[in-house]
Amino acid sequence: MLRHLLKLTWKRKSRNLMLSLEILIAFAIVFGVAAFGARYAQLYRMPLGFDATDVWSVTIQAGDNGKTRFDAAVYDTLRRGLRELPEVNDIAFSSFEPYSFSTHASDMRRDSKAPQVHIEMIEADDALPGVLGMTLAEGRWFSDLDNGSAARPVVINRRMAEAMFPGETAVGKQFVDGEGPKPGTVYRVAGVVEAFRDKGELAAPVNFAFIRAEAGKHDSNVRTILLKVKPGTARDFERRLNARLKLIRNDWSYQIVPLSTSRKIMMDTRSMPLILVSVLATFMLVMVAFGLFGALWQNTTARIPEIGLRRAIGASAAGIYRQIVLEQVLLSSIAIALGLVLLVQLPLTGVLGESLNWTVFAAAAGLSMGVIYLLSLLCALYPGWRASRLSPTEALHYE
Amino acid sequence: MLRNYLLTAWKVFMRRKLFTAINLLCIVLTLVVLMVITSLLETAFRPSGVEGKSERFLQIVMMRMDSPDGSSVSTTPLGYKLIDKFLKPMPGVERVAAATLPGAAAVYQGERVSEMQMRRVDADYWKILDFTLLAGRLPTAADDAAGRMIAVLNATTAKRLFPGLPAAAVGQHIDVGGQNFEVVGVVEDAMHVNAFADIWTPISTFASSDYRNELTGMFTALILAERSADLPRIQRQVEEIAKTVVHEDPKKWKTTRFWADSKLDLFARMTVGGNEKLDSGASLLLALIAAAMVVFMLLPALNLVNLNTGRIMERRTEIGVRKAFGATSSQLAIQLVVENVLLCLAGGLIALAATAGVLAWLEHINLIAYMRYSLNLAVFGWGMLIATVFGLLSGVLPAWKMSRLDPVHALKGAV
Repeated sequence: MLRHLLKLTWKRKSRNLMLSLEILIAFAIVFGVAAFGARYAQLYRMPLGFDATDVWSVTIQAGDNGKTRFDAAVYDTLRRGLRELPEVNDIAFSSFEPYSFSTHASDMRRDSKAPQVHIEMIEADDALPGVLGMTLAEGRWFSDLDNGSAARPVVINRRMAEAMFPGETAVGKQFVDGEGPKPGTVYRVAGVVEAFRDKGELAAPVNFAFIRAEAGKHDSNVRTILLKVKPGTARDFERRLNARLKLIRNDWSYQIVPLSTSRKIMMDTRSMPLILVSVLATFMLVMVAFGLFGALWQNTTARIPEIGLRRAIGASAAGIYRQIVLEQVLLSSIAIALGLVLLVQLPLTGVLGESLNWTVFAAAAGLSMGVIYLLSLLCALYPGWRASRLSPTEALHYE
Repeated sequence: MLRNYLLTAWKVFMRRKLFTAINLLCIVLTLVVLMVITSLLETAFRPSGVEGKSERFLQIVMMRMDSPDGSSVSTTPLGYKLIDKFLKPMPGVERVAAATLPGAAAVYQGERVSEMQMRRVDADYWKILDFTLLAGRLPTAADDAAGRMIAVLNATTAKRLFPGLPAAAVGQHIDVGGQNFEVVGVVEDAMHVNAFADIWTPISTFASSDYRNELTGMFTALILAERSADLPRIQRQVEEIAKTVVHEDPKKWKTTRFWADSKLDLFARMTVGGNEKLDSGASLLLALIAAAMVVFMLLPALNLVNLNTGRIMERRTEIGVRKAFGATSSQLAIQLVVENVLLCLAGGLIALAATAGVLAWLEHINLIAYMRYSLNLAVFGWGMLIATVFGLLSGVLPAWKMSRLDPVHALKGAV
């Protein structure tokens, strides 16, 4: 049976080549969208590393373009002033808030001979884990115990610990920044968190480090206040908060955002491209479905004499039906197999890195195969049924 | 001759109504997507509405500073001092305006908090952009000089904050991030690179006047030329001015560069061009867009090729007869290409109507705030051009196949 089908397909190779090419491109498009979606689903299930419920961020806009450095007294005044508000549970300072579009990245290394490791970081004070509900896997968060230490204390995520100190315990180890033979600032790992993805649920994990912000020291530039507020605090708290901040420093302005709002903006921004390509791909698929349906219809019409002959020498209607549908499935299988051979190069060569790992590839391949088979089956059902209903006498006379 | 082509085409279309319908549907789906994209590009780059003078103005959004050894680069918006001391005195231009990029600002009204986008702009901004004033007045240079705490709202914001007619908002007071402003004017909603905002206030309303002494900061500059022919000269002038700027800390930042860009240049610079040289990469961007559109047409074209090839089999008797009576291959090929282009143009017209519907829907769901889409003659022209390209792309291969049919076989019915 299969040999017979293959022979028939080969007989019409130039016509089938164009059809397979169309199915192949459609398969590649569905695969792309499916891989995009599967990667997002995978990322969404990974641990985030913090809890942003009831956290608000206040960005100080001092109008000096970030040039002056605030001293410890400024932070103390802010901390004391804000703690008097009954809604505020806890206060932390950091260089920017989670779910923000800012990124601070740098290359670090173990010593001046080791290879560079690319990391992202924020500067934060000792209260950050309390506000963001973070728990440490190893070691401790930096605190007053680190006052006066020569190296800058940092807390890093597991991913960075494995990249920088493979197979070792990271806590207590040191690393440096800067390029060339001259080492720059020295950092010492105080603790390790399991995960931290500041760009939210749909962002790929990166090597991440929290660097202890110490007012007046280093080049610290920490201008974001993170507030853990009482559960159920309504949005109108913003006005009282702003009034209190204006009392503390009248010449600054403040941008106040609940992190739930920032999260929504970040999620919308990240999912927008996926929605866009899905809509386009749906358009394409509808078009391919119509095209395939039309082409198959014409194919079966052109083959009516052949079908009539088969019926006349004893083939059953179901047999004809099966033949039309199976031919289509065979054609789709050839296109899909070819598509898979091409697409498997992507994870093999690793051009897309981690974002197209084998899990994502398998999920996307399965999903897109299902869609394409379903599509070609649907398109073949009616032309096949029509061909099988022809009576052999009519079919043989058809011209 | 052409009449014959058209007549045959019409007969063929009507003989197989279902396939003509399927063909048309595929064409319409493709063209709608392409036309929506074209009209979005048109809206973004064509001088119209509030930025009607955009063929005559240039904008500077970012400046780039390099350290002496070239190891670090800083890219920031301009500082007010740079615009005030270096760009405003520039000879040979009509006027220069300073404006901040839109930034989030909260408006407090009793218990209610509204999140808005606010720009601080100077009086020249209102003269370069053609806002439609619905009520009240626009800020003037005298307001800037006196540092009056005034604000202009757009129609949607005015309605949100003070329900009723636009005039109801004029004279009201609003609290923006703890600063009190009097609303003096209401303008029509506008969505363009330089115009977009919900609230506009004068630059002189900043709580501190430190911004006046900054070379880098948060401002963009708009330069209005007297004639659009002056733009290349102004671009070179700005390039020269950038070379004369010396940073306060020349050891840290040695060279300063910024470019006066048209809207297309600005977009090209942000996406493909980079900020190192005067050439923004606009031609590369346009080539990329055109290439992307052709690639997008590939699958639909293949689809149409398959449908058309199927059609030829049905028409082999007709082709055989015509060949037997002396029609040349090229005549037959032209016949099919004409049929295909004709179908695509018909599809193009339907797609144009559908595009108007899609755009109205996009406007309705407010996908991009304040965006007003319009279908004009240019979009129509582009749409028809795309339809023709698509028709040729998908018609040539089946036509070639058709013209190669052997008349003897075609007449006998063997394929």
